[in-house]
This record gives sequence, C-alpha cells and structure tokens, in this order.
Amino acid sequence: MNLLVVGLNHKSAPVEIREKLAFNKSSVPIALSQFSRRFPSAEVVILSTCNRVEIYVAEPENCVIDEDVYDFLAVFHGLEKSSFVDYWYYYSGGDAVNHLFQVTSSLDSMVLGESQIISQVKEAYTTAKEEECTDKVLNQLFQQSLAVAKSIHTNSTICQGKVSVSSVAVEFAKRIFQEFSDKVVFIIGAGEMCELVVKSLCAEGINAVMVTNRSYENAEALASEYGGKAIKYDLLNEYLPKADIVISSTSAPHFVISPENIVDGIKARRGNPMFLIDIAVPRDIDPAVGKMSNVYLYNIDDLNSVVSKNVGERENEIEECKVLIENEVNRFISWLEEIKIAPVVAQLRRHFHCIGEEELLRLKPKLTNIDPKDWDQVVYAMERTINKILHQPAKVGKQEAKNGSGHKYIEVIRKLFGIKGVEV
Amino acid sequence: MSIAHYCIFITTIVFYFLSSVWSVGALIKPKRFGLLATNRFMFTGFIIHTFYLIFFCIKDKGLPVTNIFESVIFLIWCIILIFVVVDFLYKLKAVLAFLMPFVTIFSICSILFIGNDLALSGDLQKFWLVAHIIPTFLGYASFGIAFIASIMYITVQRQLRTNFTGTLLTRLPSLEGLDSLIWRTLTFGFPLITLGLVLGFVWIRFSNILGSNWLLDHKVMLGIAAWLVYAALLHLRMIASFHGTKIAVLTIVGFCLILFTFIGTFFFGATHGFRDKASNGQMEEVIILNEEIN
Repeated sequence: MNLLVVGLNHKSAPVEIREKLAFNKSSVPIALSQFSRRFPSAEVVILSTCNRVEIYVAEPENCVIDEDVYDFLAVFHGLEKSSFVDYWYYYSGGDAVNHLFQVTSSLDSMVLGESQIISQVKEAYTTAKEEECTDKVLNQLFQQSLAVAKSIHTNSTICQGKVSVSSVAVEFAKRIFQEFSDKVVFIIGAGEMCELVVKSLCAEGINAVMVTNRSYENAEALASEYGGKAIKYDLLNEYLPKADIVISSTSAPHFVISPENIVDGIKARRGNPMFLIDIAVPRDIDPAVGKMSNVYLYNIDDLNSVVSKNVGERENEIEECKVLIENEVNRFISWLEEIKIAPVVAQLRRHFHCIGEEELLRLKPKLTNIDPKDWDQVVYAMERTINKILHQPAKVGKQEAKNGSGHKYIEVIRKLFGIKGVEV
Repeated sequence: MSIAHYCIFITTIVFYFLSSVWSVGALIKPKRFGLLATNRFMFTGFIIHTFYLIFFCIKDKGLPVTNIFESVIFLIWCIILIFVVVDFLYKLKAVLAFLMPFVTIFSICSILFIGNDLALSGDLQKFWLVAHIIPTFLGYASFGIAFIASIMYITVQRQLRTNFTGTLLTRLPSLEGLDSLIWRTLTFGFPLITLGLVLGFVWIRFSNILGSNWLLDHKVMLGIAAWLVYAALLHLRMIASFHGTKIAVLTIVGFCLILFTFIGTFFFGATHGFRDKASNGQMEEVIILNEEIN
C-alpha cells in the first residue's frame, strides 16, 4: 500500500505559483475523475485552498509515484512541469499521515489555530467521496484527521485568543459592551484598517455607523458600504459624544481628539463607557483621554501586544499538539498495517484449507463404508484443527502489524509456507 | 450545639470552599478546573445548607433566626438562592469565582457566632417576624449579589486599563453586562428592603420590642442610613442616568454598611430584638407571672 501526498503551500510557493495550480470548486471533480481514469486502483483527494494545493493518493499496487502526480498536474493545468516542480513537497507513509493531521489541525496554517481549514478539508474529502474517488484507506485517513483536529481544537488553546488587530479590537469591545445592536460606531479617517475593524464589529451586530474624513467623498463611500452616515470633518466634536465606539486612523500629524474636546461629551454620557481605538501613527487620540473615567483607549501598540501574546500562547501549544498527532499517526499506521496483513492471513487460511481438502479427497475413496455422519465429523475435525493451528499465526500477525513489522511477518509467512503473490 | 451540628455545617463550608477553588481555578486554568465541578460543589453545599436550615426551622418552630449564628447562615443561604436565580436567568457563571470565596469566608466567620449568648426574645410575634425578616433578608441577599457584581466591575475595569493582555479578562463578563446585573439586583432588592423596613416600623409601633427609644437603636439608625445610600444610588441611576464606576463604588459602600448593620452593630452593644439567654429567661418568667396574676 502506497500512501503519498504531493503539495505546495504558502511556505513553499509564492502566490503567483499557487494561483496557477489551484483548483476551483468546479474543477476539483473534473480533476478527480481524470486522475481516477488514469490510475484506476488509486484513491485520491484534492485539497485546494488559497494557501495550499495538495493531492493525497492511496494506492495498493505501488504504481503511482510523485512524478506521476506532477505529470498529471502539468497536463491538467497546461503548464510546464519544470515551472512548478521546485515548489512542491512530497511525503509518503507515516509522514503523509502526519502532514494531513497537522494541516487539518491548522498547525501548518498561515494563521496558527485558524478553524477554517477544518471545513476546507471536510469539503475536499466530501467532494472526493461523492466522486467515488475514496475507499477504505482515504476514508479512514480523512475521518481520523477531522476527529484529531476537532479534539485538538477542543482540548488545547491553539485556537483561543484572537491573532489579528481587528479581531482583538472586537474582543476588547466585547469586554466592555454586552449588546452591540444599540451601539454607535464612529470612524475617523476612512483607512483600510478602520474598515477591517468596522467589518468585524458589524459582524457582531452593530447597525449604526458614522464616518468622518477630511475627504467627504471617501467618508460617504465607506458610510454607504455599511449603511452608515457620513459626517463633515468640522462636526467631529459635535458627534463624538454620540458614539460608543470610536475608531480613529487619520494621517493627521497632531492629536485629533484631546481631553478638552471630549470632556463635555463624556459627562453627557453619564458614566456609559466609551471605547476608543487609535490605530493611527502618529497617534490621533491624546493618551490623556484614556485616563478619563469610563473611557477605554487602546492604540495600535496595545492591540499588537495582545496579538503577539496570543500568537505566543498558540505557539506554546504546538509541541503538545504534535505529541497528540504523533499518537494518532501511530494509530493510523497500525490500522493500515492491519489491513495489509488481512489478505495474507486470508491467503494462509486458503492455503491450509486447500491442503486439508486435498487430503480429504485422497482419504474419501479409502473409506468407502463410512457413514456420511461420521464423514462430516472427520471434515469438521479437519477444519477445527486447521483453524486452531492458524489462530496463533493470525493473532501474531495482527500484533506484528501494530508494532510496524508486518512486512517481516509477510516475508516469513511467504517463505515458510511457499505462498506466492503476497504483497510485501 | 452538638458535634453533629458542627460536622454538618463544616461539610457545607468544605463544599463551598471546593466550589471557590474550582470557580477561581476555572477563571485562571479552565482546562484543569471545570465549571461543572464548581456547580456540583456549590449545589451540594447549598442542599446540605438547606437541610441544615430546615432542621433549625423545625427546632425553632419558625424561621431560623433565633440567634445570630442562625441569622448569619440564613443570610448566606439567601445570597446563594438569589445567585441561583440570577444564574438561571442570565447565565453568569463567572460570578461564582467572586461569590463563592465571599460565601466561604462569610460561612467560616459565622462559626464565631456559634457561642454567642444573644438570642431572639421569646415575645416576638411570629407573623411580624416573618413579615419583617423575609423581605429584609432577600433584599440584603440581592444587595450582596450587586456587591459581588460591583467588585467584578471594578476588577474588569482595572484589567481593561492596566492588564489588558491578561487572559483573566476574556473569562469575565463585559462591563455592560455587570452594570446591568448590578442594576437588576439593586432594583429587586430595594423594594424588598423598603418593605422590610416599613413592616419593621409598623411592628415597632404595635409592640414594644425595641423599647420607647427605638429610633436610637443602632441597627435601626444604620438600616435607615443604608436605605438612604441605596435610595441615592437608585436616584443617580434613574434620574441622573449614572452608570459605571460610580454606581459600582456606591454599591460596594452600601453593602459594607448593610454588613455592618447586620452584624457589626452587635459588637457595639445593639441588640435589636435579641437578648442574653439569661435575660430571656427572666423575661419569660415575668410573662408567666403576669399571666398567673391575670
């Protein structure tokens, strides 16, 4: 049994290469059926995301190698093999299993611990299964990989703690506010980062967005995107007290919000908390504002420090997750060895039963006066004897397979009993 | 009090202590300490506590407030009862991490009152006792939860300002959620405590349990002061629409005053219906003598 993975990801290949070799949703089934036609005995799954393209192959006759997969990809995408072959990685056997488990558990993702990859792996597997491109081995492999990923995400903190500035900002907002539907967000400066934070906040249920910018047109454009209201830059101080969340990212060289122009607004809020995010460099909001009562101010460094801490915490979990994955890989390999042993044991049984039947055929003409009931007893005794003899070899075979030395067992069986045609 | 009594109450405290350890642990190391165990410990302690109080109810043929120890453990029971209701309604398990250590310490402190000689006067009428005690204690318990929520509010606020990278922050409720909990428990407790006070005044007018100078009773004076603090607090919130830190701080001050009113006054000689067992005996003799004369 040959199990291999050929692939490229964000670490091994630049986006220019990845985009040429990526499969879209509609091309995956076509690629799967073409691959199956070319290698009928192979099981195949294609995993194609924005960060990786991987082809998992399980094949019992050892006739598919990595070069075959490269050739297939070159033909399918109409590319020169030499243009991409340097960017690919190749794993086989236990390494391939380990790689898939790491990918599904998002240990190999660009953002460590992200959960989207689980659904992407699940989708890739489901597509291959629907196209009847998977069988016993890849079914077991992918089902186990999804179970491992689920277990890691549940039992470790690898996916806890936000690791992007916008999600950390939302996390802070959640520590201050319970309900977002009645909150007002005020965006000062229509920058890209502001937009990311607003997008995340809107996903939490914020309805009211106010946008101000030196260029009123840009403010209007961003406001219309989120169904908000554009405010003229001169009216900033007037609208400020109405906001519960303020996100500032202007390119102004001086403070845009200082304690003097917010103090009345804060008083008017009667102790209702106000959350300010200053993602501008140089800063837009005077740090003294953050010292005011019921005002919570965070700048880009504050948000980045949380991101770094969360990334560090996730990285600390990697080793623990790798140990868990290693155990699961061993479990899968044992299972794989067991299913390799099964045909050998079956062949051994057939071999012994053939010998038994031959002996019975030789014996029967000599016992012409034997009662049919007695003859049945003789046949039964022969079968019992063979089964008893084979019980221990079958048990040992399974045990050897679990220990990873199934191939030696097969070799011994072949030599001892002269069985031909058994794969080693 | 027999050794069996001691053992039952100590068992309750042990369960409350385990619940404290687990609830605080669940905040710091959630992987190691499960909230399920926290809940189980708390409920087991609460059930034993309930049976313990039922035993006192049967013994006293009424509410378990015949001495200071019983009153204190009845108040602790009321606080947990209010929490159970709050948790059922708003699912705020993190409150346990702050409530259970408080409950455990309060329970341990209550042991100090076991040998206290003050006991409720024999001439207290059961109806008025129940009418005064039940709303007052439930009001106190609601203010107790508001107090815990206020401490949490101040903690979250401090974390947001000084230690915003701390993992603890992510496991505590939001400021707004805590503010809303403070408000809800205050508005539940205030009418109850008002009712308790009013019924107490009516009772005083009908009977002579606190003597003629009942207004000078430490507990009455401090009770009125605490009521005024809470009235001011609700006024600030309802009329002046105040939220946040000021409300949390005032709630903490108010509950400290309540605690002092409840227990502290006894250390300053106030008895508030409680008398020495010896004088209770004399009182009963006088009552019997009066009945014989009549």
